[in-house]
Amino acid sequence: MSPAVTPSTTAGFDRQGERTDDDRVDAAMRSFVREFGVTAALHMESCVHCGMCAEACHFHVATGQAKYTPAYKLEPFRRAYLREVGPFAPLVRAFGLVKKLRVDELQQWQELIYDSCTMCGRCTMVCPMGIDIAELVKEARHGMFKAGLIPERLALMDRAAQEWGSPATPAEDLPDILAEVSEEHGVPIPCDLPQADILVTAAPAELGDHTKALADAAKILNRIGVKWTMHQGGFDASNIGFNNGDLQLQERLTRAIIDTAVKIGAKTILLPECGHAYGAARWEAAKWYGQALPVRIIHMTEFLDELIAEQRIRVKPIADTATFHDPCQIVRRGGLEAAARRVLAALGFELIELQDHGLTGYCCGGGGGVVSNQRATPLRHKVFEMKKAQVEATGAQRFVTSCGQCRITLEMGAKHAHWDKKTESLLELVADNLAD
Amino acid sequence: MELLDFARGPALDFAMLVFVLGVTWRLVGVLLLPRLRDRSAPREGAPPRLVGALRAIVRRMWPRKEFIQVTLFSTINSYVFHLGLAIVVFGLAAHIVFIHDLFGLSWPSLPSDLVFGVGVITLAALVAALVRRLTHPVLRLLSGPSDYLSWLLTTLPVLTGLLATAQIGARYETLLAAHILSIAAFLIWFPFGKLMHAFLFAFSRGATGMRFSHRGVKV
Amino acid sequence: MTDSQPLGEMLRERGVSRRAFLKYASYMASLMALPPAAAATMAQSLAQARRQSVIWLSFQECTGCTESLARSFSPSLEEMIFDLISLDYHHTLQAVSGEAAEQARRQAMRDHKGKYIVIVDGSVPTAGGGVYSAIAGQSNVAMLAETVEHAAAVIAVGTCAAFGGLPEADPNPTGAVPVSKLVMGKPLINIPGCPPMPQAMAGTLVHLLSFGKPPELDALLRPLAFFGETIHDRCYRRQFYKRGLFAKSFDDAGARKGWCLYELGCKGPVTYNACASLKWNGGVSFPIQSGHGCIGCSEPRFWDRGGLYKALPTGTGERRRVVPIAAAGGAALGVAAAALARGRLAAAASKEAK
Repeated sequence: MSPAVTPSTTAGFDRQGERTDDDRVDAAMRSFVREFGVTAALHMESCVHCGMCAEACHFHVATGQAKYTPAYKLEPFRRAYLREVGPFAPLVRAFGLVKKLRVDELQQWQELIYDSCTMCGRCTMVCPMGIDIAELVKEARHGMFKAGLIPERLALMDRAAQEWGSPATPAEDLPDILAEVSEEHGVPIPCDLPQADILVTAAPAELGDHTKALADAAKILNRIGVKWTMHQGGFDASNIGFNNGDLQLQERLTRAIIDTAVKIGAKTILLPECGHAYGAARWEAAKWYGQALPVRIIHMTEFLDELIAEQRIRVKPIADTATFHDPCQIVRRGGLEAAARRVLAALGFELIELQDHGLTGYCCGGGGGVVSNQRATPLRHKVFEMKKAQVEATGAQRFVTSCGQCRITLEMGAKHAHWDKKTESLLELVADNLAD
Repeated sequence: MELLDFARGPALDFAMLVFVLGVTWRLVGVLLLPRLRDRSAPREGAPPRLVGALRAIVRRMWPRKEFIQVTLFSTINSYVFHLGLAIVVFGLAAHIVFIHDLFGLSWPSLPSDLVFGVGVITLAALVAALVRRLTHPVLRLLSGPSDYLSWLLTTLPVLTGLLATAQIGARYETLLAAHILSIAAFLIWFPFGKLMHAFLFAFSRGATGMRFSHRGVKV
Repeated sequence: MTDSQPLGEMLRERGVSRRAFLKYASYMASLMALPPAAAATMAQSLAQARRQSVIWLSFQECTGCTESLARSFSPSLEEMIFDLISLDYHHTLQAVSGEAAEQARRQAMRDHKGKYIVIVDGSVPTAGGGVYSAIAGQSNVAMLAETVEHAAAVIAVGTCAAFGGLPEADPNPTGAVPVSKLVMGKPLINIPGCPPMPQAMAGTLVHLLSFGKPPELDALLRPLAFFGETIHDRCYRRQFYKRGLFAKSFDDAGARKGWCLYELGCKGPVTYNACASLKWNGGVSFPIQSGHGCIGCSEPRFWDRGGLYKALPTGTGERRRVVPIAAAGGAALGVAAAALARGRLAAAASKEAK
């Protein structure tokens, strides 16, 4: 899904629905309060205002604007905590030590936590107090959603996903899409099988711009001879609810893929090359299913790593130099740094790391809904300059990543910057270079 | 002498009361909140949660290699005044006497002149921190009265301690009283501002350590 | 004793040579850090002065002040003071007793009205109408009031008279007060110490006699010449303090090496007196030199400072009791706060569910 690129330079705010200001504030506060378990509370208590997080955040580094300091992005959330749930909350309220949140403050805040935060977690890596700022931004978004104060583009996608099961395409269109792709690339893609061992899912990138990825996955799955299918019941794992802060939608979309897997007897859900899909399914599905998820969640990158390690597939080595963009949600926040590199090694690449790579790699600038948030485009372009510079500095021939949204963000950035470097996908490289 | 008697007596008593009461209140009040924990299955080979927590506590003592350059001033200057404070507080004979009176623990002291020198360096680092906070755009945006008060109440004991040792500005008993009163003020404020990070850092880092070691990420 | 004879003459008659007299004057002048020329002035004025009438009132005291002044090391220059003054009333040193003594006091008050000096040692009890100390049926309070009414100056000698001393220490059952609380509108000098240094008492008196006015005093009315510096300022063990070498217990290795006694409760840094420079018993020694920390005896309320062996950096209060109570209280408040917070979380959850 690629929104039309009409850069907007004014940071305003969007609203959903016709509601009173008080109603919005109350809704936000109720949601905020529910987030403050012991971990969030500890983090709210611990910030010492050292400002190091600013030095890690690509939005701050690219623009030099102090307002993009990650800790600053949490101010209203922190105020809610101190007033409502903190150990001194009754005193804080009684003496007015922290002001009540106002609707205009929430409105102004929208830009900070939606336009200028990708929840990439680089700030979390630098904070000397170990505060997981990215996670807290995600939690704060729950309240903003409840207040009807999210960017309209994201709200649009939210509504679409509620309707269709995906912001990209209606569920009922899936069989047609898969049939088309199957024919175009000459590869069978099962859809809606009543029984299978692996439920394969996709994300908007695969369902829109890069449908070849569906064929690539199919090629590999067919090669290893497993019983697999895609299914209308649960086909988009990207989980826009996770991005937007819409917990109800997040739950619905999570259940859609897991319940569908259970229904068809699948023991494994294969996630596409997508970052937020991993966060939503691998780590947060347990919110609704408890520790023992009825299925195993595996990311495409992990899957490729396992298949290669178990020698169920082999790849022909490519004697090129390559550099890799680490998708934030699967590497820094997901734990797949090593897996991705093993796959790259198997592909025979001579890996030249970006100056900032692995756990401290810079975000593509489009995560967390930012690439869909058309209002944030100018900001995103500034951030892209940093990535471009780092890639060029390696002098590597190939530029690879393993997240569809990252890929789209980087491609859009390249187009805007008139950069001719192609962004490639790990999955595509493996599929195109399978050895017989 | 009345000021010194007040400082050593009721002032310190009150300060200790507020300090212990406040710190306990704040810690217990936070740690008893619900555990909305990540119940997902850990990554294979993930260490036990406590190990993950401890690793983060230790590793966050120093920034990651990639961040050292951009956080150089903060990192170095903060260590200078933290270590300086530790050396002064735990190395000066008079302070060890104070601690011994409270806890029954004591250890050999450092030469007083050395501690004085460290105290001067500590004061310089604290002043540098303030200048930075007042001039750096990010820090100006983040900082409020609470931050400046924390700075003031941390710096006053160092300053008054140096003045008392060098006997500058007033009679010794006045300077000593001022020093003890500044400690009392520090203790009274401690539980309510960011000075609490002295206790919180372990829990905050530990929580993130647990979350990420669970996912197979070394924070 | 006639007071019409100039002192110079009288002393010569008693066999005190002019040389000894000049030596005494210059010794006193240098003791009080007066300029060299003052010695000559002092000698001259003293020679022409008349013998000063002094009435010494002893109230709630231990007589240590008198003992200190009367210590004699043959020959003691301090002793000379008794040749320069006419001690018209002093319980310990006077020959007469009983009603005759009181008459001598009243006679001196009449004869030298407006010119006599009153020296007081001991605190003055005020509880129960002053019944806790009475002389010849008269309470100390009354005797003090009566005696100072026409005095030229009042000198409160010893910490008891200057600041209340031991009787004033907690719980102060006799309602003891210092002289300064009861004497208004008269020049008052405090010479504290338990006991005070003999040089301080003698030197102050000589200054008064020579120059007709008190020496320079500090805020507590103590002569700066003797109370201007702390023991710490002049302590010979200062270098050990600086180097952080402290005795940890009496007679330990450090103590035997003469290390600083700060950790054993020495109040030297906050005690103003001349012990460390002039020393006691004719310059032989002083408490620190003998291995015991200064107890701060020339400072107000030194008995109620938390204990003679409680080092200065330690608190004097009830911290050990306070801390567990505070911890329990804090924990309770924390539990309550967490309960309230959980309540708000639950309320928010149920509101959202609707």
